[in-house]
Amino acid sequence: MTAIRKGRAAVAARLLVLAMTTSALSLPPGAASAQQTFTPREEEPEEFPDAPGREETFYFCTACHNFKLVAQQGMSRPRWDGTLDFMTERHGMPKLEGKDRDVILDYLEQAFPETTATPGWQNPFLKR
Amino acid sequence: MSGKIERSIEELYLEDPERADARIFGRKAGTNRRGFLESAGLAAVGAAVGGAIPFSQNMPAGLIPAAFAQDKGAAPAPAAAPAAPKGPIHLDFPGKDKGLVVIGEKPLVAETPEHLLNDDTTPIDKFYIRNNGQIPDEAKDPDKWVIKIDGEVNKPFEITLGELKSKYKAQTLRMVLECGGNGRSFFTPRASGNQWTNGGAGCAEWTGVRLADVLKAAGVKPSGIYTAHYAADVHLSGDPNRPTLSRGVRIAKAMEPESMIVWGMNGKPLPNIHGGPVRLLIPGWAGSASQKWLTRISIRDKEHDGPGMTGTSYRLAIKPMVPGDKADPKNFRILESMPVRSIITAPANGAKLAAGTRDVALRGASWAGDLSVQRVDISIDYGQSWQAAKLEKPKNKFDWQRWTATLKLPSDGYFEIWSRATDSKGKMQPHVAPNWNPSGYGGNPFHRIAVLVG
Ligand code: HEC
Repeated sequence: MTAIRKGRAAVAARLLVLAMTTSALSLPPGAASAQQTFTPREEEPEEFPDAPGREETFYFCTACHNFKLVAQQGMSRPRWDGTLDFMTERHGMPKLEGKDRDVILDYLEQAFPETTATPGWQNPFLKR
Repeated sequence: MSGKIERSIEELYLEDPERADARIFGRKAGTNRRGFLESAGLAAVGAAVGGAIPFSQNMPAGLIPAAFAQDKGAAPAPAAAPAAPKGPIHLDFPGKDKGLVVIGEKPLVAETPEHLLNDDTTPIDKFYIRNNGQIPDEAKDPDKWVIKIDGEVNKPFEITLGELKSKYKAQTLRMVLECGGNGRSFFTPRASGNQWTNGGAGCAEWTGVRLADVLKAAGVKPSGIYTAHYAADVHLSGDPNRPTLSRGVRIAKAMEPESMIVWGMNGKPLPNIHGGPVRLLIPGWAGSASQKWLTRISIRDKEHDGPGMTGTSYRLAIKPMVPGDKADPKNFRILESMPVRSIITAPANGAKLAAGTRDVALRGASWAGDLSVQRVDISIDYGQSWQAAKLEKPKNKFDWQRWTATLKLPSDGYFEIWSRATDSKGKMQPHVAPNWNPSGYGGNPFHRIAVLVG
């Protein structure tokens, strides 16, 4: 394990503890079993574009939803910034501040930048 | 660390994270490698970090709890990662068609490719899935399910589903249910949210009672102008005090005879995955108004401001904005009726037709939120000329309108077929997704398929 990787993982771990200790959330009865109705496919950070901050972002954001919900977006930095606020205000995500916020914003901006490519229609006969 | 006989936590984790988990915390990885903490382990980790662990069900097995990792070392890298699946992921869910395409797995969201919407009534197995939170366990005794009516009413009450069925007159209507974000993927630059094509819609036979009858029994006060809907699904964070979604509608919409509390879908009990045993069905408006797993309707004396009502959620820009700009929430109004839309359901996008084929029979569907569809037109030359399709009448208000057309192709080769519906007020589907907004509502451009002859 390289020093850089170690460093990144340590940030991810710090963020995780932040996520785990926020507010007085308690696990509602049945919350764990509820997901048994459908088992989401396991995602790994390595499936997503490689850039600094990938692991931190992956583990921080997947506390609630799959990373695909993040990865199917393409946004400018101001819109990603707004998305982080939205996650906190609307969904109770621990507030990201200072360096942690920069790490995650840097990754999001680099990995999923604003795009004019619309996933909506793809020509089925295009040879790739 | 060298020279120590006892191995540190870090070393154990570096060697074999999952075994380390089991040894230290009694945490077992499930088949999906995302282990649940066993109760003893949960308490141990909880004590270590000084609090309950709300996200424990999301904590990947083998990820060293951060309280132990701090300043010492590292969470181990996950084992060799599988490659991300290429192409569409098909749904694997009991009772659902494998042709449905998964947009997201947590929360579970899956759309129906247009060619699977070829039935006059969308079968349950082909009906799209949209969840905002965790999927609740199936109700063991549906008739004992309780719904509460309160707020600005003279006689607030609770009623079981069993009583609802026996006390009020039931009706069955075939109506479109459509996700508010349907068509989002056509916006450019990309709008944020689930990237639906046209498949966040279906048309089923819904059985239930008029919402108006229930609200009248409670006696809505003159101050009651808006509904607020609540449900049993738990927020993705696991926080029991945070509604997953709570939307509402103007009281006039709630009082329309087609706005219903439903428990039946295509003659069967409403499946759990579609909000069973009981949900709202507010036809023509964004699907999120049709709260699944309904537990409470509260009447309010102002526009409801629950999660999903504010900011840019389920809202459109009042003053048109530059695509991609950051939004000013003050410039937004609630999305009510869904816009006009048409889809070609046969042939499928990508169909290969035999050389020499000149006549192509088309089938499709069209609908228009609160309105009806006046006409559907088809083009095979990129909109340079259009021909009218044969449009059927709806069975009842909010039903979709099926259409058919026969095309004459001039030659073999590559053709695009476009469909364009016009609503009863004369508005047509546009060429591109109109009125860009950051969360991508109202994306209703022409449907476009490509076929290859020969
Ligand atoms: C505390 C829980 C939580 C955390 C942590 C969280 N989210 Fe979310 N996020 C949600 C919920 C809930 C939704 C709504 C899901 C739905 O309705 O389908 C959501 C939706 C989204 C969406 C969809 C856009 C939209 O408008 O609905 C994006 C993008 C997103 N999250 C990005 C992120 C990113 C990036 C992170 C990490 C920095 C993150 N989220 C972390 C709870 C969370």
